[in-house]
Amino acid sequence: MQQRYDAIVIGGGHNGLVCAAYLARAGLRVVVLERRDVLGGAAVTEEIVPGFRFSVASYVVSLLRPEIVRDLELPRHGLAILPLDGTLTPLDDDYVWRVNDHGRTVRELRRWSLSDADAYEEYSLLMAQMARFIKPILSAVPADQGRIRPNEWLSLAPLARRFAALPRRLRDTFIQLMTMSAGDFLDQWFETDPLKATMAASGIIGTFQGIRSPGTAYVLLHHYMGEIDGAFRAWGIPRGGTGGVSLAIASAARAQGAEIRMEAPVAAIDVHGGRAAGVTLASGETIEADAVLSSADPRVTFLDLLEPDVLDGQFVDDVRRYRFRGSSGKVNLALDGLPEFTCLPGRGEHLRGAISFSPSVEYMERAYDDAKYGRFSRRPYIDSIIPTLVDPAMAPPGKHVMSCFVQYAPYHLADGRRWDDEHRQAFRDTVIDTLAERAPNIRDLIVGEQVLTPLDIEQRIGLSEGNIFQGELSLEQLFFNRPVPGWARYRTPVHGLWMCGSAAHPGGGLMGAPGRIAALEHLKSRSASR
Amino acid sequence: MRYDAIVAGGGHNGLVCAAVLARAGRRVVVVERRARTGGILDGVVSTVGRLRPGLVAELELERHGLELVRPAVRMLALREDGPPIVFYADPARTAAGLEAVSRDDAEAYPRFDAHVRVLARFLGELAEVTPPRLDSGALGDWQAGLRLARAYRRLSARSARELTRAVPMAAADFVGEWFASDAVRGALAARGSLFTAMGPWSAGTALVLLADSAGNDGGAPGQTTFARGGPVALAAALEAAAKAAGAEVRTGAEVGQLLVRGGKIRGVALASGEEIEAPVVACGVDPKTALTRWLDPEEAGPRLRWRAGNIRTPGATAVVDLTLSADPQFTGVDDTGLLGGRIVVAPGIDHVERAFDCWKYGQVGERPYLEATLSERSLRVLAQWVPAAADPDAVGDLVVAELERHAPGLGGIVAGRRVLTPALIERELGISGGHVYHAEPGLDQFFAWRPVLGLARHRLAVSGLYLCGSGAHPGGGVTGGPGRNAAREILADVDR
Repeated sequence: MQQRYDAIVIGGGHNGLVCAAYLARAGLRVVVLERRDVLGGAAVTEEIVPGFRFSVASYVVSLLRPEIVRDLELPRHGLAILPLDGTLTPLDDDYVWRVNDHGRTVRELRRWSLSDADAYEEYSLLMAQMARFIKPILSAVPADQGRIRPNEWLSLAPLARRFAALPRRLRDTFIQLMTMSAGDFLDQWFETDPLKATMAASGIIGTFQGIRSPGTAYVLLHHYMGEIDGAFRAWGIPRGGTGGVSLAIASAARAQGAEIRMEAPVAAIDVHGGRAAGVTLASGETIEADAVLSSADPRVTFLDLLEPDVLDGQFVDDVRRYRFRGSSGKVNLALDGLPEFTCLPGRGEHLRGAISFSPSVEYMERAYDDAKYGRFSRRPYIDSIIPTLVDPAMAPPGKHVMSCFVQYAPYHLADGRRWDDEHRQAFRDTVIDTLAERAPNIRDLIVGEQVLTPLDIEQRIGLSEGNIFQGELSLEQLFFNRPVPGWARYRTPVHGLWMCGSAAHPGGGLMGAPGRIAALEHLKSRSASR
Repeated sequence: MRYDAIVAGGGHNGLVCAAVLARAGRRVVVVERRARTGGILDGVVSTVGRLRPGLVAELELERHGLELVRPAVRMLALREDGPPIVFYADPARTAAGLEAVSRDDAEAYPRFDAHVRVLARFLGELAEVTPPRLDSGALGDWQAGLRLARAYRRLSARSARELTRAVPMAAADFVGEWFASDAVRGALAARGSLFTAMGPWSAGTALVLLADSAGNDGGAPGQTTFARGGPVALAAALEAAAKAAGAEVRTGAEVGQLLVRGGKIRGVALASGEEIEAPVVACGVDPKTALTRWLDPEEAGPRLRWRAGNIRTPGATAVVDLTLSADPQFTGVDDTGLLGGRIVVAPGIDHVERAFDCWKYGQVGERPYLEATLSERSLRVLAQWVPAAADPDAVGDLVVAELERHAPGLGGIVAGRRVLTPALIERELGISGGHVYHAEPGLDQFFAWRPVLGLARHRLAVSGLYLCGSGAHPGGGVTGGPGRNAAREILADVDR
């Protein structure tokens, strides 16, 4: 006898799990269907090399919405976030090192430029103010810009009032952040090239843009909005890797009564009489429900899981033009010891934060230029961390894991070529060479590794074109245009089918906001139709 | 003699502003540093089709000698691996020609042209209004808001959504969604990069492209309208219209500084030391010059100076004028009528983007993006991207070499050559950074925050000081919009 659910959530990534937890909390009978045998989607921890556990894809946490942590009581379900302190930018014979201790950072910056040290204070304060201002946008449901009825825009009214109430200086900055390139924005404050390059790097993560591309200042802010225990711009790593976040959310969902099934890949969303009525699994099993909420990206949801004749042609075209353009890869290393940097030898605390390979603005821009013409960067930007220094349980005693986020690695290679083993090997060698230029002993330390190209990310994690945000965070794909203009409010043209993943507002990152807002909107529509 | 207003800078916008003020009965003097008025009309641009249509009638420019010429060919897109693509004023005719390039593209073209026109029409409305205050609503804002709301409502729901989506896009994406052929994409998208420091992959170039067709008949290929006698003929007509209405025009009169007393403007001091008094000064120059060079730092205050100093003015366009001793022979062009429009070398998106890449590192690309216009035996070529301090001779050689690829033998018939790099444009015309648009037309310097937030309503820091040049909304190019809108605001203030 078939079970019947109130709601099916497709995908056991962090957004799917958050969505399910909120629905279950409201008393709905919910089942989460996950394709793989591990939970977490891109926020997943796996033991790839025996004894070494990698945060396979997503590797740090900051954006996770505090209200979700509270509502779902995640600490009670095992969530612990260990602070990650500072960013080191190694150079040939020097370095720029910023830490959470503001005074120390300012002293370090004085070595480079007195005016930058002064500007840093003002800048940090300003960005914290901006993050606080923009935070409500992360919980707002986008308006539909195609309608001019005032109630369509009502959700924006509080925001408009807040904007009008801002001091002029902050209004200025807000407009700049929404429109400028990260590089141009930072140029207004700083002159130290490696500092600018490293700070601007937050503006390109997960986008197919360079630090001089307009629109990247927004992504810079997007990465500034993180909050841990009320402190903005604080980054940490979850105990047990980013999979630890997913497992905590899953535990919370289960505690609320949600069912979670793994190795249950969905083959099709079943639509009867224009309504989503359930799903059919790859095994042939069908599951019925009043509603289906998909945390898969729009390409998977609408083009793979639905019969083609369910949707009208215009909508299908709009989904097709939604841009993924994965631009990054990931190299996870199992190390026998700690890397030693030429510019700052020793095993001190400088290794405990992020280590950013972003020595100059030109370096970053050239890395982007390579990608524009369909090849991975000859010298890529690498954001690496060594989680074992704060969470030693991730590796056997005395051993380490090193996580390297690498940009750019375009999904689409020049001349229509596809990523294969040869490309992956060349990509891997480039990354190791780049690391070894500044930490020569790294080659001898590697005892195991995992290399993920954008194609690998697509195939392994299920993110189209390997885009870590389920679609570029470019200005035309934000807010009321995410993912499709007119369909930014978690609903879809199919009754009872909802979007709850990173392709919905407010977008990607280990944030959980799309899952939460989708659940709340769905609950609202249920009670309205009753 | 005492004036009601001084217009500092006799470019097209300054002249428009002066003409409108004079026609409203104000005593106006235009002070121009150079020996002739016209600004970028004199030696930089070649087409004038973006001129706001209402201005021709309002200022009776035809009576003052302006004759507009609209060739049937808008754009001839040259390429090396095939015959040139011809973009006509008539979309159907263009589509027929595109059949030879790509059937799908030929089919898409008329719809794309209509799409551009719909979005550009709204931007045309936007260009007519003074940007509203974003902090508090005044009565004037309410009217502007109503006008925009009406224009927005005229868009279908679909178009309204497409507008918000298109504005922040890269031109490469905007065009790429419609066309498959790289040659077609390159030719159409490049216009979003003209006079900017942005390649076709830069976000916001779709807005530049649409704004180029805003309020005119440009459509997909963009306007190609000439003034008979060249762009200087438009300057002459504008000057004649201003003078006929009683305005005085003084050339060879360089402004040294703005005179301020008690927070109010009281005139300008010329470099010669002469002072001219008036309660209103409208600056046709770029805002950086007005605020950081002309205005006393004490009057501006440190915060405004910092913001004005950060106005982005990355000039990246060079002008190469070639005098030819014979008619040029372009490969694949048998009908000289095809050379009557803009002749564009932008044979693909990546090709153009690579030309931009080099500029980022302070170099001139081997293969520049060119837009040329031929008049008799004079060829005016706009070349991008050129670093400000590039060697003019090297730029000239590069441009001729690129043209040689499409018009073999052209180098041999060059009888004279004049090159303006951005540094030379800055020196000749006094524009900061040599940026033809006075301020980069990026998303960050647009509408209510052009040139910066809080100064978009033409009123600058000091009571009586106005911006009427391209650095103000609706921005650069020969539209006359900033001059016309500034004059409206000045009259509203004076009448109050």
